[in-house]
Amino acid sequence: MSMHKYLKWIFVLALLPAVSFAANPRLVLPDFTGLAGRASDSVTITLDAPMLSLAARFLDPSDPDQAAAEDAIKGLQGIVVRSYTFDQDGAYKPSDLDSVRSQLATPGWNRLMETRSQKSHANVEIYLMTEANKAVGLAVIASEPRQLTIVNIIGSIDLEKLHKLEGRFGVPQLGIGPAKSPAAGSAH
Amino acid sequence: MTDDLESKLRDALRPAAPSEDFDRQLLARLAATQREPTKLRGRYASRTTWWFSAALAATVVLAVGVQHHRAVEENREKGLEARRQVMQALRVTNDKLDLAYRAVRDQSGAVAGDPGA
Repeated sequence: MSMHKYLKWIFVLALLPAVSFAANPRLVLPDFTGLAGRASDSVTITLDAPMLSLAARFLDPSDPDQAAAEDAIKGLQGIVVRSYTFDQDGAYKPSDLDSVRSQLATPGWNRLMETRSQKSHANVEIYLMTEANKAVGLAVIASEPRQLTIVNIIGSIDLEKLHKLEGRFGVPQLGIGPAKSPAAGSAH
Repeated sequence: MTDDLESKLRDALRPAAPSEDFDRQLLARLAATQREPTKLRGRYASRTTWWFSAALAATVVLAVGVQHHRAVEENREKGLEARRQVMQALRVTNDKLDLAYRAVRDQSGAVAGDPGA
């Protein structure tokens, strides 16, 4: 094998991690220690598959919220939540999310919706990663003047189950379930 | 007087031949005295061993039980904490989806209310 061929193989092997990174529904979240230090309240949740299955064993099916949660986490490989609440506006910079946004710009991720509220000045972006017409990753970035939240759900996400969660936890229906009919969609 | 005492002593200390069954009696007594402490020691030793074994077994059973209870309790605490985190994670997720919903509703309301739309 010539030197040129060796170099070609080295180049291909060097690209492999980048390719696998690009197709990963699990976001690599930056270290938000600085933000956490400035926040008046922070939520840091990292649940992997074993922790989710352990939690499922302790969810009470007789409780409607917990039953819905148990149904929703079936098939999930992980849930990651980072949420920081600040006492004043502008405690974080949009650039704090650059590395997250760059991952969501890679092939596989699609922006499902982006909403900007004039009233609350909140910006919510919902991204979905699909493989073979199945959702395998969900990311939510909610930027509010005094709160920054990132949610990453990894695994076989059943949008219908997630849809069932709407209305629970005091949340009205959002209408992100699988498309059924125009009439059904407009009902939300 | 002195001669009398001397002769008495000589008589008393005169070597005498043992009786015929002296050997047998001596050996029998020797055997008996040797056997008795061994029997006692053996009984004592076996009882001590039994108590020691029982105490050891009880300690092992207790230790395994405590360890098992601790593992079950630890697992339960982990499970309850995992459940709390799942519920909180879903609550936060739904809260943000609600935020998106409200923004969409506000926008669509504004569009519906716009006479130019």
